[in-house]
Amino acid sequence: MTDTMQSVTIPVRRHLLPFAFLAPALAIELGIIVYPVLQTFWMSLHDFVLFRPNNAPFIGLGNFTRAFTDPVFWTAAWNSVIWIVCVVGLQFALGLATALLLNQSFWWRGLARALVVIPWALPSVITALMWSWMYDYDLGVINDVLSRLGLIEAPIAWLARADTTLGAVILALVWQGFPFFAVMILAGLQTVPVELLEAAEIDGANAFQRLTKVTLPSIAEVIATALLLRTIWVANSLDVILVMTGGGPGYTTYTVPLYAFLKAYSGMEFGYAAALALIMTALLLLVIYAYVRRAAREL
Amino acid sequence: MERRTFLKLTGATALASTLARPALAAQTTVRWWYHFDNPQNTPAELVAKFEAANPDIKIAAESIPWGGGNDYYTRLFAAIVAGQAPDCAQVKLSNQARLMEMQALEPLDQMVAAWEGRKDISDNIWTLNKAGDGHQYYLPLHYVVLYLYYRGDLFDAAGLKAPATFDEFLKAAKALTKDGVSGFGMRGGAGGYDNWGPFVLGGGANFQKGGMISEAALKANRFYVGLATEHKVVPPSAPTDGFKQITANFKAGRTAMLIHHVGSSNDLVTALGDKLQAAPVPRGPDGKGWTLYGDESNAIFASSKAKEAAFRWISFLSTAENNVALTKLSGQLPVTTAGAAQDTSHQARFVKASTDSLPIAGVMPDSPKTADFVATVWPTNMQQALLGQISPDDMMQAIEKHFNG
Repeated sequence: MTDTMQSVTIPVRRHLLPFAFLAPALAIELGIIVYPVLQTFWMSLHDFVLFRPNNAPFIGLGNFTRAFTDPVFWTAAWNSVIWIVCVVGLQFALGLATALLLNQSFWWRGLARALVVIPWALPSVITALMWSWMYDYDLGVINDVLSRLGLIEAPIAWLARADTTLGAVILALVWQGFPFFAVMILAGLQTVPVELLEAAEIDGANAFQRLTKVTLPSIAEVIATALLLRTIWVANSLDVILVMTGGGPGYTTYTVPLYAFLKAYSGMEFGYAAALALIMTALLLLVIYAYVRRAAREL
Repeated sequence: MERRTFLKLTGATALASTLARPALAAQTTVRWWYHFDNPQNTPAELVAKFEAANPDIKIAAESIPWGGGNDYYTRLFAAIVAGQAPDCAQVKLSNQARLMEMQALEPLDQMVAAWEGRKDISDNIWTLNKAGDGHQYYLPLHYVVLYLYYRGDLFDAAGLKAPATFDEFLKAAKALTKDGVSGFGMRGGAGGYDNWGPFVLGGGANFQKGGMISEAALKANRFYVGLATEHKVVPPSAPTDGFKQITANFKAGRTAMLIHHVGSSNDLVTALGDKLQAAPVPRGPDGKGWTLYGDESNAIFASSKAKEAAFRWISFLSTAENNVALTKLSGQLPVTTAGAAQDTSHQARFVKASTDSLPIAGVMPDSPKTADFVATVWPTNMQQALLGQISPDDMMQAIEKHFNG
């Protein structure tokens, strides 16, 4: 009898043991991710305003339909598309160029590799304040240099014009984020077998052909992963915009996450803000799906 | 003193103090939230003075980041919803309606009526701080009134005097806009509604239904937006200029007029000395005028278990010399009449400009929508109007819609 019980218990224990090891991590996951996400869903279905906590009626998909008829949402959504494409695209291009340079042999390469990481290491608020002062109408170094070079006759209010503000903020974030690509791609470049490049050179491939036919295909996996990760981060980032412009002038630099943030923390409309955040999440899920599939393939 | 007498006296004192404050026999802790423009300033000395005089009360003073108001109030509302509100906190009128809607405020009528110090605060200030339902939830703490700073030397050189009307203001701004100087440092960014108010609310607009789209209101707003778009008497960066930019421009001599309050006077005097002059904001065509009464009060929360102790603390802060000590930390003006007489932290001409402005000083509407108007509705619409993306009339329609549907 005892033997039979033991023979049953041991497999059950073995079966449960992995879950017991996972339990602490799962509990934390439930507490800090699943619960807030479920609460966001709940809020998005209610007219939840922070200063009316006892009067939050269920309105179904009302917050979502409101978003689709809200012109500010569409402005923010369009700005988000420009923001993501330009920031990620330019960061990648600059990061790739930097990585190719840093992969060359020169005597101060070690120092250059260390220096290039500085923008990435700076806190976003510092980056935003620094660029705000560089763009300053009266004191900014950008206006000063451009006028000394004779490129402009009068200073430009970079952060106060509809035609320059979004581009100015994008440039600041490109500067901050390109080291991520540079470091990732540089790490990838060092895995490209030298023999392959030598063989291509012997076969008569020029530098551009070696880059496009050998180097880039060899690090395609690294590039794809970096692009996916950066797209998710850039899509959600609002700190630099918030500090530099607060979304202004007007709605010129509103993006969806910033709009959700302002609706929550200025308007106190947590229900509507939750719906905006979920719409953004749904769009990002496509990117996340691609990332997860890629990550699973690498396992 | 004989040992027996000493013991009798000690016993009697202990008994008397217990009887005198039966509700506070044990030490009570009062949690108080505050914010100062300079977060380095601490009320520790005031707390020590109060605790020495009130050994049965301990003050837990917590500095809460202001963050343009959003940070402070988001934390306050979240704390109230979570049942973790402090006993009392600094509050502004622009959020009184929201706090009332949350039923978070304790009426102070009876405690104020029984408080001797109430007589030292002027009736004007009590009236401005009274809630829409007739109750007194706020105990005034300090205040500012917005007025016009101007460069006396530039005005003298141009043969101008401080503008008393909108027309004189425009004339002066035009005359002084030259050689890299703009006549007026318009604040189109965060907080700029308090620059807009004197011209638009002072020009005939109001927050009642239809009050933003009356002919007088639309005309006043066209005038104000026109300072930038038509007359170009403001810096090109005005659409997003906030406090730091407008004061930096003024101190550096890039603008000739600026609207702000006494809180910036010491800093501006350091840069400009006697060139700095002040006067009430100009008045509209009907002569009425309007400027912002920038209030700060203390309120006690309904959830507090130490309301009496909290009132003793907040009334201590609104009593003459304590009120003066507090305003040295906040950079604002004492609400007490006796305190105002003792205040030496600001130069007289700026205190005079403040008190001269009191007859036209008003507050933002007592509405839950006011805070969002200040933080997003006004700046987004004003900036669009300044950029020509919408007309000044569209801007007023948007404000009307925000408040009155």
